[in-house]
Amino acid sequence: MKSLKRLYGFLQGFIMLNLLWYLLAVIVNMRVLPKPTEVYFNLDRLYGMELCMHILASLYRVAAGLGISLAVGIPLGMLMAYSKLWNRILNPLVYFTYPVPKTALLPIVMLLFGLGDTSKILLIVFIIVFQVIVSSRDAIINISPEIYNPIRSLGASKRQILMYITLPAVLPELLTNLRLGIGTALSILFFTEAYGTHYGLGYYIMDAWTRIDYPSMYAGIILISLLGFTLFILVDLLEEALCKWRF
Amino acid sequence: MLQINDLNVHYQSKQHPVHALGPISLSVEEGGIYAVIGPSGCGKSTLLHALSGIIVKYSGEILLKGQPLCPKTHSIGFIPQNFGLLPWKNVEQNCLLSLHIKKVGIDSKVRERITYIMEKLDIASLQHRYPNELSGGQRQRAAIARSFIMNPDILLMDEPFSALDALTREEAQELFIAIWNQYKVTTVFVTHSIEEAIYMGKKIVIMSTSPGTLVEIIDNPLFNTENLRENEDYLKLSGHIRSIIKNGWRL
Ligand SMILES: Nc1ncnc2c1ncn2[C@@H]1O[C@H](COP(=O)(O)OP(=O)(O)O)[C@@H](O)[C@H]1O
Ligand SMILES: [Mg+2]
Repeated sequence: MKSLKRLYGFLQGFIMLNLLWYLLAVIVNMRVLPKPTEVYFNLDRLYGMELCMHILASLYRVAAGLGISLAVGIPLGMLMAYSKLWNRILNPLVYFTYPVPKTALLPIVMLLFGLGDTSKILLIVFIIVFQVIVSSRDAIINISPEIYNPIRSLGASKRQILMYITLPAVLPELLTNLRLGIGTALSILFFTEAYGTHYGLGYYIMDAWTRIDYPSMYAGIILISLLGFTLFILVDLLEEALCKWRF
Repeated sequence: MLQINDLNVHYQSKQHPVHALGPISLSVEEGGIYAVIGPSGCGKSTLLHALSGIIVKYSGEILLKGQPLCPKTHSIGFIPQNFGLLPWKNVEQNCLLSLHIKKVGIDSKVRERITYIMEKLDIASLQHRYPNELSGGQRQRAAIARSFIMNPDILLMDEPFSALDALTREEAQELFIAIWNQYKVTTVFVTHSIEEAIYMGKKIVIMSTSPGTLVEIIDNPLFNTENLRENEDYLKLSGHIRSIIKNGWRL
């Protein structure tokens, strides 16, 4: 239901935005701001293999970056929540690096890992993983201790406590993380796809921009927004399937 | 039988330990139902947490069926004041939780027991609902069902009826006694109501102010009596308990 509502909201927003855009384009009447109709009629330029390659390239980088961030961040967050010792060791490191703008590391990552996908994905991981660590740790710490009591009196093993209490309790938080991560990863594409590649929506937009091909540039922007929106809806559907009790 | 010898519980709070309970020695008979009543903060919840294996740092001895109490080897039913249902499991999953944790296979005999208890407690039609879709009374019945389904060695309940409104409470008490009479699970429950203690406790255990010790253990002949308040003995017994309370929870 939630995803349907969101779809409806999206359509409303989409129509309103396009109306505003159209009005603005008519008023400004410059080449940098084409009318939405011009852009949509130009979308057919993008069809076919070419477009698929751009989308897949970006999707691969975003998915790999998010996947690694979650796979590394959640266990580390758990370790910090459950072990005072590990929290004491890792906390200063996490807090010291948390406010450092990771995009500033781009040159270093590039020098160390080359121009390929490795450095692109690593940059996404660097930016997202800390947020995942901190929020999954806090989510676990915030579980009220009482909720463990009945299952403890049943003699549950550590693994059972993890499966029956910890994971379901932090799942909504993790999904929120995933949403934030998707937004962040998509915007990082503009840094990471600015070099060493001819594929990806970030590359596509910037390429069109330098060629002063504004209709294509706008088409790219629309596509990357659609990609983000589709991923959001998928997370909503995932949440509805996994957190039935909240709906 | 549950045997408690010289039980003391300390909490570690801000460096210095707080003596929350004890010393307490008590033997709880098999098939008994004990109502524990005492002033707020005297350690009633602490006692139940120690008996249910939630608190493991205590001094003294707790023996269940002759063995040191252990939630892994014993089967302990614990119902906290908020009923302790997992919000992310529906009623059926919550009821089966104890069996899943204990890795009890669900054969036709167990299945029969589950169906019977759920029907008896009138929650069979709520199987697919989540706790946030239930009333307080329904939640409590689900928690009771969960405990009786696992057929525990001992059942512990922390103020099980105090979160319910007056009408629901009476119904719930009657229902509990009905199902308890059927299975006679050894039960210790905490209450702050004298009437509830007299209606539902075969024995009434009165605790002192903090750190709680035992003031008196009363054999209650009025257990499960109908029209309790019209009974002469009821006035005598509740008068006796009231006088202990007036005296600052001392004899
Ligand atoms: N986690 C804790 N840390 C420190 N002190 C506690 C803790 N839990 C309870 N206490 C203290 O132990 C005493 C007994 O508490 P409790 O067993 O909850 O009392 P009751 O259930 O009889 O009202 C109280 O004085 C309370 O302040
Ligand atoms: Mg209490």
